[in-house]
Amino acid sequence: MTFVRDDLRPIQRRAAILLALLGAAFAVVLGRLWVLQVIQSQRWRIAAENNRLRRLPLEAPRGRVTDVRGDVILDNRPTYQLLLFPEEMSDATRTAAFLARIEIAPLEEVQARLEKARRTSHLPSVIADNLAWSQVAAIAAHRAEYRELEIHSATRRWLPAGARVAHLVGQLGEVSPDQLVGNPDLHPGQLVGRSGIERAYQDVLGGTPGNLVVVVDAFGKQVSALDEEPPVAGRPLQVTLDLALQEEAVDAMAGQVGAVLGLDPRDGAVRILLSQPSFDPDLFAGHLETAKWRELISDPLNPLHDRALQALYPPGSAIKPLFAAGALRDGIRSLTDSVFCTGAVNIYGHPYRCWQKGGHGRVALVEAIEVSCDSFFYHLAHDAGIDRLAAWARAFGLGTITGLELGGESAGLVPDDAWSRKARGQPWYGGETISVGIGQGPILVTPIQMAVAYAALVNGGQLVTPHLVEGKGQPPRPTGFPSDALATVQRGMELVVAGDRGTAHRLGSLPVRFAGKTGTAQVMRKVEGVHWQNLPWEQRHHALFIGYAPVGDPRLVVAVVVEHGGDAASVAAPIAARIFQRAFGPQAQVQSMTASAAPDWQITSAPPGPGALAAPPKTTPSPQTETEDDVPDQDPGHTHR
Amino acid sequence: MRRLDPWLLLAVAGIAVCAYLAQNSTARALATPGFANRQIIWLAAGFVLLILFALADYRVLARISPLFYVVTLVVLTTLFVVAPARAGAQRWLTLGPYTVQPSEFARVVTILAVAALAGEHQQSRLDLKTAVRLAFVTGVPALLVMLQPDLGTALTLGAILVAALWLGGLPWKTWVLLVAAGAVMVAAAWMWVLKPYQKERVLTFADPDRAVYTSGYQQRQSKIAVGSGGVTGKGLRSGTQSQLRFLPAQYTDFIFAVWAEETGFLGASLLLLAYILMVFRIFVIALSARDRVGTTFAGCFGFVLAVEILINVGMVTGVAPTTGITLPLLSYGGSSVFATCISLGIVQSIWRLRYANV
Repeated sequence: MTFVRDDLRPIQRRAAILLALLGAAFAVVLGRLWVLQVIQSQRWRIAAENNRLRRLPLEAPRGRVTDVRGDVILDNRPTYQLLLFPEEMSDATRTAAFLARIEIAPLEEVQARLEKARRTSHLPSVIADNLAWSQVAAIAAHRAEYRELEIHSATRRWLPAGARVAHLVGQLGEVSPDQLVGNPDLHPGQLVGRSGIERAYQDVLGGTPGNLVVVVDAFGKQVSALDEEPPVAGRPLQVTLDLALQEEAVDAMAGQVGAVLGLDPRDGAVRILLSQPSFDPDLFAGHLETAKWRELISDPLNPLHDRALQALYPPGSAIKPLFAAGALRDGIRSLTDSVFCTGAVNIYGHPYRCWQKGGHGRVALVEAIEVSCDSFFYHLAHDAGIDRLAAWARAFGLGTITGLELGGESAGLVPDDAWSRKARGQPWYGGETISVGIGQGPILVTPIQMAVAYAALVNGGQLVTPHLVEGKGQPPRPTGFPSDALATVQRGMELVVAGDRGTAHRLGSLPVRFAGKTGTAQVMRKVEGVHWQNLPWEQRHHALFIGYAPVGDPRLVVAVVVEHGGDAASVAAPIAARIFQRAFGPQAQVQSMTASAAPDWQITSAPPGPGALAAPPKTTPSPQTETEDDVPDQDPGHTHR
Repeated sequence: MRRLDPWLLLAVAGIAVCAYLAQNSTARALATPGFANRQIIWLAAGFVLLILFALADYRVLARISPLFYVVTLVVLTTLFVVAPARAGAQRWLTLGPYTVQPSEFARVVTILAVAALAGEHQQSRLDLKTAVRLAFVTGVPALLVMLQPDLGTALTLGAILVAALWLGGLPWKTWVLLVAAGAVMVAAAWMWVLKPYQKERVLTFADPDRAVYTSGYQQRQSKIAVGSGGVTGKGLRSGTQSQLRFLPAQYTDFIFAVWAEETGFLGASLLLLAYILMVFRIFVIALSARDRVGTTFAGCFGFVLAVEILINVGMVTGVAPTTGITLPLLSYGGSSVFATCISLGIVQSIWRLRYANV
């Protein structure tokens, strides 16, 4: 048998070709390695660093705010936040149920937050803050079950005085894109002041956020820290506010709706800035619960509204001292010019009634302020004309914002013929001038404007810029009212409290001597023969009192507005009186007052309970109300104006 | 023993060392310390298998290959009944505490069967009948594997057919016909066979921005890992891409990226050279085989091995789509290591018996 060896040469040749092809392919792959690892290595190294390094902003602790005595208004306190690592979450339903059980929030709210956290990114996000100790303990105890949850300590704004300074301090919020432009110190996502002192002094309180460079893994989980650029804490800020007086104002308001503004007439330093009702500022320090937010904004009394700076009221009789000063300066009235008040005057063929049925008899200027005689000021207004009244009001700063650092002020309205033609398309009606003469009609002011105007009355005619930080106000501007005219008006205001016939003479026996002027601003047509306390709350007139103390050397002007207070002398004036007592009264008096409830010389007119008011009551009545009828009026037996 | 090829053994030993180091690194990243140890045990056991098969006579194995082949087809068919679906595929057979991937062994058996078939047809060119038989022998297991579904392994079975036809020799007109038929098959596969995720992979390769967080993400992370390794690498167990787990499937498909990141171009090219040496020696053995069976087996195996290496490294470095083809010996997995070692043993047997006269 012959053994024929298979001819393998063709297959060997083809195998060699195959090897050559493979060799070429291997060369390509080797070349590819060379390109990636040698030529492009720098580029890929940067990509790898970007992968693993995260720059985490470190919030700078915000500055603390103290009042004029150094008492803390605003500080930080440690708090616990709940972080969620979405990638670690295996069963969102179970986690949500757990968080609802430990009362982080209602179940739907928790589910919404978890869903949002999961949708936004795979990086951890804060889903709750301000945790209670029991919640921290519960989460720590279930760590092994819920690895996606982590407790993180942080700081939170803390207001020892709470709601009493809520409007003043304002709120924080995430920086807006507009603010980011042109401000290199701000980082996206940073918390900045949105309102109040927090916004006005953001540059002082804000500090500079730092950076933490951390190594993260593919799931965004922090593995270690590499580098830290520590944040620079915000600087402390001392404001002119007096917490003791602010608290006294809150106590004295006793749940009534309105505003109290206190300032030093000598330089405009604000001592009290209060709007009531208020809200719990802690609600805005972190996660705002939707339910609570809805509750706040649907409250008919609108607690978020800062009435001290923004609400517009007719000044009522509180305008009279300003017009009296103007009349003296421009020679419309002299010290001795008098009017015989019979309880009503007839101008333009229409009867304008004085609040005092039966009249005040013969009154001159000083007395007219003391008894708040409407008849005197009807004639004065008629003789001056609307343009002069408007000029006087503007000279005292009405109709323009006062320039407080907080911003957001309303300008108010000083009406005149030009305004009427522009806004209403008709010339000014002379009868309205008579109403404006006693602070009714279209004229509208804010509480802070009245405080500034009265400051000018008692500081020698200087229009100050109210301010919260020493030295921030612009230098006072002279109003051009001669000092003898101002002194005359002051005498009238002193008699309001001290005089036998003064509208607030019931407060004349208090140990601290103060002066001022009541004002009752009409909300709706007066109902004859019905005492104000028998009217529904929302139909009562607004009660105003602007006063100053001590007499002779005024260091504090207080403007009080009680919405639907009904009666200025028994409702608004006592509030100012209590503040003056606290500021200048004997120590014993202060002690007893803080301990007790309202003194027997104070009457309050608080709104009915929640739900009783269907719609927000108008804080500003329509300017056209009641120009042809009389002015607001009280039962003669009872009080004053 | 002394008649075995030392270069091939050296290449295998070098790759085994790299495999252990790379697996050790990724085991740290994934906090699974057992993986590296298991891989080195498999490599050691695989080495024993290699020697055993080297000492066997490949001609005997080829002669009884029909038996192996039938058993393999039975096992692959049984998989559809008994195998649990893992990650959407029925690829694994559970044997006590171990899972076996039969498709890896099917490949060895298919190459052996192809070699045996080629040995029967001792002509310089294939006739049509033999070519069809070759296509049938590779096509049946390829179809079964593709249905698991395991496209990567099915493709390597296709590569066996290409290599066998090439080595067997076909007229150029037939090649033109085959390429055309292949194109039609690819189009048909695209339209009816490929799963959406498989299509996505191919599309992503064509346009990496297509899916940043799926397969495009994987490939990008892999390129970052390889590239950031630079010339000298970040050091063993210090690669940020692998240790921080940016790198996907690091102990299987993307193990080469772990090695390249941590040892740089020096280590990566050294490992690639070890693979090139291995492929080169297998082809040297194919050229020096005493018969058609030996040449066909070594040639087909060398070709499939090279294709796997090229596609895997190409995928890791971003020049080939992500197909799920692992890197022989380096990727984690006992079945793959054993199957590769058995094939290498048979190749050594071919070398040992190249002058045998019987």
